[in-house]
Amino acid sequence: MQRRSAIRNLTMAVGGLMSLPTWASGWTPESIGKVSTLSFSEEGTLAEIVETIIPETTTPGAKSLKVHQFAMRMINDCYGEAAQKGLKDGLATTDIASKLAHGKVFAEIEPAQRLELLKKLANSPDVATKQFVNMIKGLTIQGYQNSEYVMVNIQKYNMAPGFYHGCVPIAKAQGKMEKKTDR
Amino acid sequence: MSYFNIDSIKDRTFDAIVIGSGISGGWAAKELTGKGMRTLVLERGRNVQHVTDYPTTLKNPWEFDHLGQMPKAVKDANPIVSRCYAFNEDAAHFFVKDAEHPYVQEKPFDWIRGYQVGGKSLLWARQTQRWSKYDFEGPARDGFAVEWPISYDDIAPWYSYVEKFAGISGNKDGLPQLPDGEFLPPHEQSCVEKYFGEQMAKHYNGARPIIIGRCAHLTKPNQIHYDQGRAQCQNRALCQRGCPYGGYFSSNASTIPWAQRSGKMTLKSDSVVHSILYDEKLGKATGVRVIDANTKEAVEYYAKVIFVNAAALNTNLILLNSKSNRFQNGLGNDSGVLGKYVAFHNYRTSISGEYEGFMDTTTEGIRPNSSYIPRFRNVFKQETDFLRGYAAGFGASRMTYNDRSGMGEDLKNSLAEKKYGNWRVGSHIMGETIPKETNYVALDSQLTDPWGIPQLKISVSYDDNDEKMIKDFHEQLTEMFTKAGFTNIKTNDIPNKAPGLDIHEMGGVRMGKDPKTSMLNKFNQLHACKNVFVTDGACMTSTATQNPSLTYMALTARAADYAVKQLKAKNL
Ligand SMILES: Cc1cc2nc3c(=O)[nH]c(=O)nc-3n(C[C@H](O)[C@H](O)[C@H](O)COP(=O)(O)OP(=O)(O)OC[C@H]3O[C@@H](n4cnc5c(N)ncnc54)[C@H](O)[C@@H]3O)c2cc1C
Ligand code: SF4
Repeated sequence: MQRRSAIRNLTMAVGGLMSLPTWASGWTPESIGKVSTLSFSEEGTLAEIVETIIPETTTPGAKSLKVHQFAMRMINDCYGEAAQKGLKDGLATTDIASKLAHGKVFAEIEPAQRLELLKKLANSPDVATKQFVNMIKGLTIQGYQNSEYVMVNIQKYNMAPGFYHGCVPIAKAQGKMEKKTDR
Repeated sequence: MSYFNIDSIKDRTFDAIVIGSGISGGWAAKELTGKGMRTLVLERGRNVQHVTDYPTTLKNPWEFDHLGQMPKAVKDANPIVSRCYAFNEDAAHFFVKDAEHPYVQEKPFDWIRGYQVGGKSLLWARQTQRWSKYDFEGPARDGFAVEWPISYDDIAPWYSYVEKFAGISGNKDGLPQLPDGEFLPPHEQSCVEKYFGEQMAKHYNGARPIIIGRCAHLTKPNQIHYDQGRAQCQNRALCQRGCPYGGYFSSNASTIPWAQRSGKMTLKSDSVVHSILYDEKLGKATGVRVIDANTKEAVEYYAKVIFVNAAALNTNLILLNSKSNRFQNGLGNDSGVLGKYVAFHNYRTSISGEYEGFMDTTTEGIRPNSSYIPRFRNVFKQETDFLRGYAAGFGASRMTYNDRSGMGEDLKNSLAEKKYGNWRVGSHIMGETIPKETNYVALDSQLTDPWGIPQLKISVSYDDNDEKMIKDFHEQLTEMFTKAGFTNIKTNDIPNKAPGLDIHEMGGVRMGKDPKTSMLNKFNQLHACKNVFVTDGACMTSTATQNPSLTYMALTARAADYAVKQLKAKNL
């Protein structure tokens, strides 16, 4: 009886989600955000940058998890104009640096060369360039760690049922759900 | 127009009208319908049905475009509500946006509101502590505001009554300054929260207990909760989205559907109450004037008794706007105190630190609650150079991080490996502010809102007493943290932060013994218009340090009981 009402509540919840009332979509980025100002090729460069920061191994890398699109969305919608300009300038700088070093744009050089180049840019004496790499790296980590793939398969995210234990030996801790990522 | 048609008037006549469907209005609706009263509940916002209208409740973190963060365009357009910690991608649809409902800040005040069925009960942090006798006796003992017309003993049975229905979890701590209630099992404290409690017991001789928070969660539901259609809390801590299990108390999950099932409630959403109608010949209120939120058409509803539960400041607004020959300065305002003696809670500062003990332990899982430090200043007698005192939230959890240095496969590997840092400890102040005549709200003489109702002008600020209290909090908590061996202790006051973000605004229609200095009697009845009751935060004579909503619930249930008895005795 008690279980049944809990389950009913839950199925109702799922049912309710299928048809969102109009007010509920009032906050989607479509209605408030601008469309990205990046060109197709700039987006491609960004995808290779995030993939360089977190590459595909036996598990997916940042590019196939679409972390570059997350980064673009965050910079576009949540960060200010300075960051948006920093993104465009940084992408251009990356390609210029790549051409200078290897005669080709960033997307066309070898993965090992990309990694080496990005590390250099991260330590560049030019403040703007350094900030650009830091910003993209931070967003890449955030987007990757909060991607569905990582949360489900690596962090074993589980919304409910949840639990709380106030004092667990680390050796025994499952290592999951200690910190909420979305607040 | 069909307004003057007799049948139409009959259709618009009820035994009782409740204005507002939030925490207190939901209780008024439940109690009045439960006692057989045909009750009209008027709510200015849209309808929000339990579960079906919680659009984000089952979303996973990665399903939010900005992982919860609000877009800059929204923040820029809404600087006030954006300062509230809970105004995020998952719950923003339950908050009032700045431009939609303008008000005048004579002094800066962040007024945070939720206009929908359920009001702010969907959004609240669910902390629920009883007041003690020291809180009700405060104004008389310390000589501020006016004396409360009720004592702890008057309200204690009503605390029990609402606690059993709402479902409050907590530990029986046996503290005189924070009476125990009808508790469901408590949440657990973390190792360092417990350790801090033990240290404080040793250093302060039991005078500064550190307890687990008391909160409106069904840690172990009783039959009465299942009867409401609610189920056990699953520790998701995503409550501000609305809970599909009904795991926490909200009007939407609890009181409103209960009132609905009685068959006695009519709920009208999108109905903005403009004013209360007063009949001079009868010497009482006869109904309310309502503006349709969408069409802006006016319509009147009638009843024998009216409960005003629009949340503290809006209740002030409605009464101030209810003008008649008899009451030219607002309904029941013979004393001239309507809108004055507004007070709030001081949430301006916090303190943080680290602890390097318990390094081989951690917490696991999620807890929709934290620990709590009941007021320890000036409780039994006046000890400091400021009046009253503060409670404080307290939490301790293990810091975790990943090594973020490097790039490429190295970085990817280190991200997969969680590292443990020190324990992080933190505490935020919840201070009592003193109600003063100079902290007031009034109607703006020029500006109106889109429904033709005068805008509320708010003139409320911190004072010297608050500044001294903040200083004392810093000193005392630093001392306590130091005694516990915490390190890296940092205080975090934001001196120019406006009041309001506590979301505990109270007063303006205060209770009191003397009609010359107060608006309401001991049953929350307007002294000068006996069939109008105010039982939300507007009625509060003083503010104590506890989170206020549980007290609004208890006062509402008590007043509703009295109102129905008076009606039956033909006294209203
Ligand atoms: C983020 C957050 C955290 C909080 N945490 C806590 C906590 O831990 N503990 C605690 O005790 N309290 C907490 N609160 C405060 C708590 O939510 C309020 O004290 C409580 O909701 C007040 O109840 P109420 O009935 O007075 O007002 P509300 O719940 O706000 O309901 C008032 C209703 O009246 C409606 N209304 C207003 N004007 C009109 C009108 N003219 N005509 C018709 N309807 C009208 C509104 O739309 C609203 O639905 C918190 C609040 C927030 C937002
Ligand atoms: S913590 Fe409990 S009440 Fe809050 S959302 Fe989760 S299940 Fe619901």
